[in-house]
Parts: sequence; C-alpha cells; structure tokens
Amino acid sequence: MSYLSISNVTKQFGDTVVVDNFNLEIGKGEFVSFLGPSGCGKTTTLRMVAGFENPTSGKILLDGADITDKAPNQRNVGMIFQSYALFPNMTVAQNIGFGLKVRKEADAVVKQRVSEMISLINLEAHANKYPYQLSGGQQQRVSLARALAIRPQVLLLDEPLSALDAKIRVSLRSEIRSIQKSLGITAIFVTHDQEEALSISDRIVVMNAGEMEQVGTPFEIYNFPKTRFVANFVGSLNTADAEVVDTAKGLVSVDGVQFTSAEGTKGRNKGDKVKVAIRPERFSFATQQHKDNVVDAIIENITFLGSVVRIQIKIGNTSFNMDTFNNPFLELPKIGSKQQVTCSKEAVLVLDE
Amino acid sequence: MKFLNRLRKFPFLAWLWFLLGALYFVLPLLATFEFSLSWDPAVPFKAYQRAFEDVRFWRSFIASNVFAVITIIACIILVVPTAYWIRLRLPQARRIVEFITLMPFVVPAIILVFGLIRVYSTPFTIPFTNIVFMQALTQFKAGTNILIVAGYMVLAMPYMYRSVDTGMRTVDILTLTEAAQSLGASWFVIITRVILPNIRSALLSGALLTFAIVVGEVILASFLGVNAFGPYLFLLGQHRAYEPAALSFVSFLLTWIAMGMIQLVTGGQNQTAGGH
Repeated sequence: MSYLSISNVTKQFGDTVVVDNFNLEIGKGEFVSFLGPSGCGKTTTLRMVAGFENPTSGKILLDGADITDKAPNQRNVGMIFQSYALFPNMTVAQNIGFGLKVRKEADAVVKQRVSEMISLINLEAHANKYPYQLSGGQQQRVSLARALAIRPQVLLLDEPLSALDAKIRVSLRSEIRSIQKSLGITAIFVTHDQEEALSISDRIVVMNAGEMEQVGTPFEIYNFPKTRFVANFVGSLNTADAEVVDTAKGLVSVDGVQFTSAEGTKGRNKGDKVKVAIRPERFSFATQQHKDNVVDAIIENITFLGSVVRIQIKIGNTSFNMDTFNNPFLELPKIGSKQQVTCSKEAVLVLDE
Repeated sequence: MKFLNRLRKFPFLAWLWFLLGALYFVLPLLATFEFSLSWDPAVPFKAYQRAFEDVRFWRSFIASNVFAVITIIACIILVVPTAYWIRLRLPQARRIVEFITLMPFVVPAIILVFGLIRVYSTPFTIPFTNIVFMQALTQFKAGTNILIVAGYMVLAMPYMYRSVDTGMRTVDILTLTEAAQSLGASWFVIITRVILPNIRSALLSGALLTFAIVVGEVILASFLGVNAFGPYLFLLGQHRAYEPAALSFVSFLLTWIAMGMIQLVTGGQNQTAGGH
C-alpha cells in the first residue's frame, strides 16, 4: 500500500509549467530518487512534498492524510539541504535538539534523542562544536541527524551530497542509505548525479522538462530505458541512425551493417527510420563462440580511464564507444586495425528517431 | 641592505594619509579636552565636577537614554520583520523600501518635526462626525513622548535598516527559514531563535548608531519641548564655556566605547558565521 501518494500534481510559475501531472506512489520505508537535469522539476516536486511550494493542482497524501495545503511546520517531514542549513548560532547538539525543543518535548527526551542521533552519525566528540568548526561531510551528517531527530514520516534530501568532494560523497551516500534502511524511514532523494541515484535507490524517477520519463528500479532504468532521454541520461550510450530491415527477426541496419535486437521492432514497419542504442560496456571483441551481432570495426582511438579502457570503434560510417575493464594483462588492439566486435541481442535497443 | 629594502617597501604615502586623517579627528578632541581642563588649574576636573553636579544634566541624560532604548526596541520590532520578509518573500520591494529608508537623509529633521506637530496637534475625529477617537498627541506628555520616539525612529531608520539588511545578507535566510520550518518551528520561533541570534552584530551596530543619534539629537526635542540631552547641551553651550566642552568629551568617549563594543561583538560573530 502506498504511504506517500503524489496524485496529478502540476506546478506552474506564471505561464511556465515546471511540473506537469506528476503521479507517484511511494511505499513505506522505500528510498526513491528523483533524477534529472537542472530545471526538470525534481526539486520543485520535492519542495511541494515539503510544503515550501503549493501545487497549482493535484493532491499529496501522506499515510492517508491530505497534506497538500498544510504548512511546512505541520507536516512532520524532515528535510536535508545541499547547503547543510545548520543554524550557525547553535552547537551540534543544539542543532539536533532544535526540532524536539520546538515540539516542546521534555528535556530528558531531548537529551536522550540528541545523544542517540549523535551516536548514529558518529560525532560524539563534536557535540559541543559549532557548525563552522566541522567539515562539510560532518555538517551534512549533523543535518541528517537533525532531520531524523524529530522522527519524520518522510525524509527529503535535496541534493545533499553536491557540495562535498568525491570521496566523502561516496562514503556519505552509503551512510545515508544504511541509516535509512536501519530506521525504515521513507525517503526521497533529489539528484542530478546518475551514479548516486543508481547506487542508493530502491526506485528511480527519471524526470525531464517537468514530466516523468520513467519510474523503475536502478536495474530497470539502466538496462531497459523506455525513452531515448532515459537511455541518454542514465549511463553512457552509443546512439546511431538506423533503418528497420526485418520486423519479424528484429533486424535493423546501421550504415548497411545489420544488428539484431531481442526486443524486436514491434509496431514498426520495414524501412522505418529509428535510433539504435547500445551501451559501451555491452560491446566486446568477438571470439568464435559469438554468433549474434558480430560485425567488423576499425579501431579509431583508445582512452585509458583507470578501471575502464574506452575504445572508439567505427562500424560502417558511425563511431561507437566500447568499454572494457582494465587489467594488467589486457592486450589492446592497434589503432587503425580491423577487429570483429560483438554485442548481445539484448544489448541492442531500438528507440524512436 | 635588508633595512634599505624594507625602507623601500614601507608604505609612506598610506601612513601619511592615515596620520593626516587621525590628526583631523584627534586634534579637535584633544583641544576640547585641554580646554575643559583649563577652567581652574588648581582643580583640573572642575568642569566635569560641575557638569555632573547639575541635576538637569542627569535628568536630560537619563531621559535621552530611555528614549534611545525605547527607539531601539521599536526599531528592531519594526525593521527586523520588515527586512526579513522582504528578503524572504518580497525581494522586488527591496528597492522601494531602501528608497524610503533614505528619506531621512533628504528630508531635514526640522521639516519632520513641523510635519509631526502639524498633524498631531489637533484631535483626531471619526470622519463625518465630531467623535474624538484620539487626543492631540502634542497636548499631553505621554503623547509628546510617543511623537519624539516616532521621530527618532524615522531618523534612525536608514542606519537600522541597512545594518539589519547587511546582517541578513551574510546568512542564508531562506534556507535557514526552510530548515527551521521543516523542523516544526513557527514564524515567531524562527525570528527569535534563528534569525535574531544570527544577525546580532548587525543589530548591535544598528542599535548603537541609533543610540548615538538619539542622545545627540537637538531639533526634534527642542521643537517638541522635551527635556532631552541634546537641547540641554545646546543651552549649556549658550551660557557656559567649560562644562559643554567637558560633556562633549564625555559624549565622544561614550561613542568610542560603543564602537569598541561593536568591534568586540562583531569579531565574535564573524567567527561563528564564518564556516557556514
């Protein structure tokens, strides 16, 4: 059963529609990420759940109660901001206890909950420090503890890791996920970083220009993108102009080179112009065991990216990227040489042009 | 060689301007101080002794201090929520409000006081009736006190508004407000426990400037017939020579102490807000 329900929510600023007919059901304890480029409406949707923006139309229900018109301080929703938003005049402990004091909880309860939260974020030694005395990662952990201290029904995270450096981002996102799981709290996480969304979420909502493009698990979003936007936005993707050759066999042609797609070309006709999308890691050098989609390619360039080696190949007249894992014994082909490469039928996605 | 290099790098011109500036401000003060001591060489602080013995000095000084405190409180109640709301919800109104706050620089105090006297020297009646709902404020002491505080608030507004607005610019008012709201705080709690403590140095500097303006103000108090410190000092200067010099020096000293307090408090807060 849905715990948070966002139904037909639209938000307009003047004539501009920022969020258009957004519908989403989120289960209790679920971690959902809103993923999309800047200006796609993900933060506005989050702010409507928090109560900082009022929907132009639509409803938001939390545990069956209509909270659409409730003030932010009446919603019992915790929020974490990109800029931490810690109160500079308060210590770590005072920041964490602020929400409880506002709710007029007994001093003993405040003290106990603050202590619990400080242990949860492992900042026992910093309880009496002011925000300016903490690093960015520590400040964001305090912000998380402060939001969790009030035991909110939903935790909203508005790009909480964007202001942190790469290493801390990775460690903090794991920490956020593990705390969320251990407390069983429902969470919505806004990000424009696909890696973050893929690694942390139960489900991802990919948004574009105020609309939902696709909702699914990270596995579904990455492996089975339903629209060209999702395919392009999530992960690296090779796209090429193609033409439907045989609808029964799912055959498409890229510059005369034929590829078979497992999903087929249903609903299309022979000669239709389409786009073929193949992720770089789905290509590999062909061996004698390979039967499907074995095609000739010319090696154009090789780029070393650390754990991955990116090889630029030319199939027909179109350039594709092929990613292969790096290892010390990897034998790389020479630039300009001709090789046979392959990809599975499942790797070939046929999208509208 | 090293000494010559250092000498070459020494900013002579900057120091020259600094010294000239310092002389410009310090010399008159020193002269006033020296003059205040010259009444009776046998009793150097005679002027101070006489000034402090005068009961009218204490009466006017205390009255001005009370007015200053009331003005500061009233200004904070008026200006803080206004500046906060403009930053939060009405940024487009900022230029208009800034223009309004600059009006006291354009409209002289004498015009202000005549305006106040003209408007508030007749009783207010309900339109189209003879029913009086407010007596003329100039007719009774409390009313005059209200008028003078209102006048002081107008005079102090540019300083108080700008101090508060600058203070609010240094903290992320919008995000702090939203963070507090999401934690369940009401507007009153947000203003008193989140906003005010984070702009306390700005408030203090605005308050001290207001204090200085009110304590030294002459025109409003003279025309409204209020026994304040400004008119007292002015009258004293008309009849005596040494006491006004002594009191002027004391006033300077008080201002400097106030400025020192601003530095102390501001320094403390800069550290608190620095890491934000």
